[in-house]
Amino acid sequence: MSSLLSSLSAATRALDAQWFGLDVTGQNIANVNTPGYSRRVIDFAEVPPESNRSAGRGVDVVGVRAVRDQLIERRLRQELPAERREAAVADALSVVEVALGGPGESIDAAMNRYFDAFASLAQSPSSSVARQEVLLQGESVAAAFRDMAERLALSQRETDGQVRSLAAEVNDLASQIAEINDSIQRISDPGSRLHLQDQQGELVRRLSKIIDVDALPREDGGIDVTIGNGRALVIGETAYPVSVSQINGTTHVFSGTVDITSEIDGGTLGGVIHTRDVLLPAYVADLDALAYEFATQVNALHAAGVGADGGTGRPFFAFVPAIGGPAGAAAAITVDAAIAADVDLIAAAGAGGPVGDNTTARDISGLRHARVFGGTATLADAWGELVYRVGRDAQVARDEQTSRRDIVTQVEQLRDQVSGISLDEEAMQLMRFQRAYEANARFFRAIDMTIDTLMQTLAR
Amino acid sequence: MRLTFSAMHRNAQEGIESASTRLMDLQRQVSTGKRVELPSDDPSAILGSIGEHNETAAIDQYARATDTVGSRLAVVDTVLSDLIVQIERAQVSAASARGSSKTQVQREAAAVELEAIRDTIFSDITSSFNGTYLFSGTNSTVPPYSRGPGGVISAYAGSATEMFVDVDQHRAVKMAFDGRQLTQGSDPQDIFVEFESLIAAVRAGDDAGIDAGMEALGRMFDRVSTAQGRVGADLRTIDEQKLRLDELRRASARRISALEDTNMAEAITEMAQADAAYRAALGAASTVTRLSLMDYLR
Repeated sequence: MSSLLSSLSAATRALDAQWFGLDVTGQNIANVNTPGYSRRVIDFAEVPPESNRSAGRGVDVVGVRAVRDQLIERRLRQELPAERREAAVADALSVVEVALGGPGESIDAAMNRYFDAFASLAQSPSSSVARQEVLLQGESVAAAFRDMAERLALSQRETDGQVRSLAAEVNDLASQIAEINDSIQRISDPGSRLHLQDQQGELVRRLSKIIDVDALPREDGGIDVTIGNGRALVIGETAYPVSVSQINGTTHVFSGTVDITSEIDGGTLGGVIHTRDVLLPAYVADLDALAYEFATQVNALHAAGVGADGGTGRPFFAFVPAIGGPAGAAAAITVDAAIAADVDLIAAAGAGGPVGDNTTARDISGLRHARVFGGTATLADAWGELVYRVGRDAQVARDEQTSRRDIVTQVEQLRDQVSGISLDEEAMQLMRFQRAYEANARFFRAIDMTIDTLMQTLAR
Repeated sequence: MRLTFSAMHRNAQEGIESASTRLMDLQRQVSTGKRVELPSDDPSAILGSIGEHNETAAIDQYARATDTVGSRLAVVDTVLSDLIVQIERAQVSAASARGSSKTQVQREAAAVELEAIRDTIFSDITSSFNGTYLFSGTNSTVPPYSRGPGGVISAYAGSATEMFVDVDQHRAVKMAFDGRQLTQGSDPQDIFVEFESLIAAVRAGDDAGIDAGMEALGRMFDRVSTAQGRVGADLRTIDEQKLRLDELRRASARRISALEDTNMAEAITEMAQADAAYRAALGAASTVTRLSLMDYLR
C-alpha cells in the first residue's frame, strides 16, 4: 500500500514537473519579443528510490535557468559603441552636408556674383547702377559667409545639447542598473533573479550604445560598470552619476571632479563629442580661413584703388566684431559701413589713375582666378576642399557604420542562436510537455484505480 | 543552427530596408536626374563639379563682356568709317578750291562745305554709346570736345588713358579710346584748329594754306585708318572669342553633366531591378514569417 501511495506521489510530482515545463515554455513564448530576454530552460532530475523495492520516486525540478553566453554578451557590448559612434557622426554630418548647398549654388556662387559685379563695373566705372550692384553682391557674399558660419555654429550647439541629454541618459541607466544590482543581491535563489539579470543585461546593452562601457560581473549576480579610463559608473547598488559643466562654451562630462570628455570615444556620446570637438571646429576653421583670405585680398586691392570721389585707402569689407586673425572671420564679415553708405567710395580706378579708370575693378574681378592659398589654390578651390572634406568625412562615417552594423548583426545572430526564442522549438516543447503530462495523468489514474481496487478488496 | 523568432524577423526587416533604401535612392536619381545629391554621395565628383561651376561662371562673365565690348567696338568701327569718308570729302572739297582760276563764289562754296564736314567730324568724335563717350579715354562721362562761345571747338577734354576690358583670363580689349590720338596725334594742333586754318585759306585763296590743311587731313586719315585697322582686328578677336567661349561653355557643361547627372538608362534599369529585389524581399519576409509549427498543433 505504501508503495502505491509512493507511486501516486511520484505521479503527482511528475504532473507538477510537466506542468512547470509547460509554464516555462509559455513564459518563453510570451517573451518572444521582449528585448534582452534569454530563453528559459527547465532542468529535471530523477528522484532516486528509497529502497531496492522501488524503481524511483519520479522526477523533481532542479531549477530554471536562462541560457546566456557571457562571451557573446561581452562581444556585443564591445561592438555596439563603435557602430553607434559612426552612426552619430554620420547623422550629425548629414545635417552639415545639406547646409553646405549644392555646387554652384552656395558661397562659391556668391563669390562669383561678386566678381561678376566688379567685372561689370570695369566696363562702366562711372555707372552708379554698376556700383549699386557691387554693393548688393558684396552684402550678399558677406551674408552667405555669415549664414554658413551660423549653420555650423548651430550644428555645434545642437551637438553640445546632445552631450547634455546623453549624459542624463547615462545617469538614468546607471541608476536603474544600481537598483537592479540591489534587488539581485537580496535574492538568494538564482532561479528567482533571472528576470532581473535579463533587465540588467538589456540596460547595459542600451548603455553601451551611448557610451563605451566595461561591465564586470559580481559574485552576488550584480554587475559593476565603468566608463572612460576605468571610471566607476555603477559599483554594486551605488551609482556614480556623471555630471556636466560648461567650459569655454562647450559641455564637458565629469566623473566626480575629473573631466572625462576626452576619454569618451565610443557610443553615440563619443561620436557626438568627436563631431563637436574635432570635425565641426575644423570645418569652421576652413570657412573662417576662406572668408578671411577673401576679404583680405579684396581689401588690399580696394584700398590701393581710387573711388569715384577721388578717395583711396578704404577697405571694402570689415569684420564686426573686430578680429585679430582668421578665427571668427566668417561670422563677422560685413561690407564696410562707409562703403555701404556711399557707393561712390567703391574703388574702380587704379592708384594714381585718372577718373574713369577701371584697373582696380578689373583686378578685383580677376581674384576669381588668383591662386591665393599657398600659391596653388583659388578661393573657389578652397570652398571646394571644404565641401569635399565634409563629404568625405560623412561618407567614411557612413561606410564605417555599415561595416560595423554588419558585425553587430552577426554578433546579435550569435546571441539569438544561444539565447533567442524559436517558436518552432517552443511548439515542440509544448507538445513534449503536454504529452508527458497526459501520460503522467494516465499513470496517476492507473495508480488511483489500483488503490481503489485494493480498498474495495479490503472492504469486503 | 537555431533560427530564432527575432533573428528571422530581423533578417527579413534588414533585407526589406536594404532593398527599399536602394530603390529609393534610384528613384531619387531618376526623378531628379541627379546622381549626386549630397557631398558624401561622391566627394570627388562634388569637388570637380564646384570647380566646373566656377569655370562656367567665369566663362559666362567673359561672354557678357565680349558682347558688351563687341557692341561698342562695332559702333566705334562705324564712326571711324564715317570719319574716313568725311576726311576724303574734305580733301576733295579743299582740292576743288585750290588754284588761281577759282572764283570767290566757288571758294566760298568749298569753305561752307568744309565747315559742314568739320561739324560732322565733331559730331563723330563726340559720339557716345550707352551714355559714355567713345573717344574720351577713361574720362568717358565728359565729351572729348565741346563748343564754346561763338561755336569755337574747345581743346581735348578727355583722358589720354585708354580703357580695357577683360574678355578672357589673359586677354583684354580696348573699349575707350583717346580721341586726341585721332584728331591730333603728334601734330602741334588738333584737326579742328587745322580745319579753321584750312577754311580761312580756302576763303582767301591761299594755296599754301590749303596744301597745309590737306596734309593735316592726310595725316588724320592715316591715324584713323590705323585705328580702324586695330578695331577691326579686335572685332575679329571678339568674334573668335565668342566662338571659343561657346565651345568652352559646352565642354564645361558636358563635364558637369558627367559629374552630376544620372545615366538615365542605367538608373531606370537598376531601378527596375531594385523594385524586383524589394518585392522579393517583401515576399520572402511574408513567406518565412508565416511558417510555424504552432500552426500544426492540435
